[in-house]
Amino acid sequence: MKEEKRKVYYLFSPFLRIFHWIMVLSIVVLFVTGILITKPATIQALEPTFTSMSMDWVRNIHFIFAFLFCASFILRIYGFIINKGDRLFPRVWEGHFYSETIDVAMHYMLLKPSHAPFLRNPLARSSYAGLYVMVLIEILTGFAMYYMTEPGNIGGTLFGWVNVLLGGEMVTHWVHHIVAWLIIVFAIGHVYMVLRADLMEAEGEASSMFSGVKFLEHVPKDACEVEPPTNAK
Amino acid sequence: MDKRESMWDVYLRKGMSRRSFLKGCAALTAMMGLSSDKVAKVAEAAEKKPLPVVVWIHGHECTGCDESFIRSAAPLASDVVLNEVALEYDHLLSAASGAPFEAHLDEVIQKYKGQYILAVEGAACTKDNGVYCMSGGHTFTHLLQKAAAGAAAIIAYGTCAVSGGIQAASPNPTGSSGIAHFTGSKPVVNVPGCPPIPEVMTGVVMHVALFGTVPPLDSEGRPRQFYGNRIHDTCYRRPFFDAGMFAENFDDEGSKAGWCLYKLGCRGPETYNSCGNMRWFQGMSYPIQSGAPCIGCSNAHFWDEGPMSRRLPQFSPAVDVDTIGAGLAAVTAVGVVGHAAASVVQKKKRIAAEQAEKGSGEE
Repeated sequence: MKEEKRKVYYLFSPFLRIFHWIMVLSIVVLFVTGILITKPATIQALEPTFTSMSMDWVRNIHFIFAFLFCASFILRIYGFIINKGDRLFPRVWEGHFYSETIDVAMHYMLLKPSHAPFLRNPLARSSYAGLYVMVLIEILTGFAMYYMTEPGNIGGTLFGWVNVLLGGEMVTHWVHHIVAWLIIVFAIGHVYMVLRADLMEAEGEASSMFSGVKFLEHVPKDACEVEPPTNAK
Repeated sequence: MDKRESMWDVYLRKGMSRRSFLKGCAALTAMMGLSSDKVAKVAEAAEKKPLPVVVWIHGHECTGCDESFIRSAAPLASDVVLNEVALEYDHLLSAASGAPFEAHLDEVIQKYKGQYILAVEGAACTKDNGVYCMSGGHTFTHLLQKAAAGAAAIIAYGTCAVSGGIQAASPNPTGSSGIAHFTGSKPVVNVPGCPPIPEVMTGVVMHVALFGTVPPLDSEGRPRQFYGNRIHDTCYRRPFFDAGMFAENFDDEGSKAGWCLYKLGCRGPETYNSCGNMRWFQGMSYPIQSGAPCIGCSNAHFWDEGPMSRRLPQFSPAVDVDTIGAGLAAVTAVGVVGHAAASVVQKKKRIAAEQAEKGSGEE
């Protein structure tokens, strides 16, 4: 076996990691319950008084996880503040971002045998920014529907404009539904890209979301953005 | 026309008692959606204020709103028109017609400038200078602008006047829209619905007539007392929704048993109206009660939000958003597997190339 000299980079704070797994759980639960809300399961031979699996429950679970998801952003923001490695927004204001993104994209399109080493590659970071946009749309449209039971209250005042902007509350439902599917498509791609990176480069891509660290042989191009590495034991 | 009567004067002229006047005021207060402590205010206004002049014009529409209006039971539409407001001009209900009648409109607009209530039914047709909707030799938009300029307040009756209605549905060949662009800075009360509930129509005009101000409005300009709740949240079938009991077809057991119509495309969860609590025609029924899912007729663009018997947009009988979403996810999954296989091949090639290079370097 070849002796490898790898360095350990501490990237993700516990806050980001906990947030990530809350997000995973929330998205799965929200998607399943959301589909059930749009197209409720057909339940035969029931009595209203004794229904066990009721629509009310499905909706309440959806709402509870929606609030949990929103609340978990507190962890995300705290991690962002205290830890450099949590700051994942693509550096679109720096010129090298674009050439590096093209470099990574060329590799993913199988046109280049490899791409330059990154701790957090610019294409992935762009996709996370895209995910946050989708999540924001889900939050805005979701609360716009949720709070309009009482349009005059604070929630209706804060989010009611979304329905007007989209041209009708039915459209809000549709946007919420379509973007949910796009998030699932993102999730499939995300899980694949992480597992692929883990198997191909063995840099601890998948385990980094548990341990917070990655192991790199080469000096990554974005090393200056995080804390200096330590030597592997 | 010079000496304008108050509602109390009308009661006196008809020889009706003070007692029945006060009873009428109490009924009116309830119909306007106000609490009972406002009865005194209503009685005072009805006693002292001269009957408000109302000009009622019709644009691009089917006049179904008037069909609804004349079915108002409390207050009776005939009472409103004959005893509670001074209806000076109405395209549809007037017996008079022709040039003298049009001249009368101009006279009314001049004489009661800034005092009359303008009720508008129907959309404003804007394409080709509005020639697709004309009356008395002028376009409706011309009449609308003229009448709106001198109005104290404007009531937009029906979804057409509020947001264009069926004329404005895609592809909107006549360029129809709501009347808002033509009313300037005048206060407008939006009373959407296709048609609005009769008692909502009479209730709103009585509110403006008696108090001289528009009722409290929500962010879309609708009176809060009538459009403050979703039909879904006031629907008597809501318990079936919460229990997960749905009619799957228009002719199945659930439909016959009166279960929730959500899966048949009911728009109750998106629609703000009083159908659930006031119902129609003296509380007789409303669409959901008669087994038809709500089509959301008080929503701005409900004609374009079909199919009305489905919750999701439908692209063909078998394809909706969920089909496309699942298809997209499946394609992504297949693509991922293909990409993984190609990546493995690529990596093997790369390692082979590196080893060949290393090998040639060592030799």
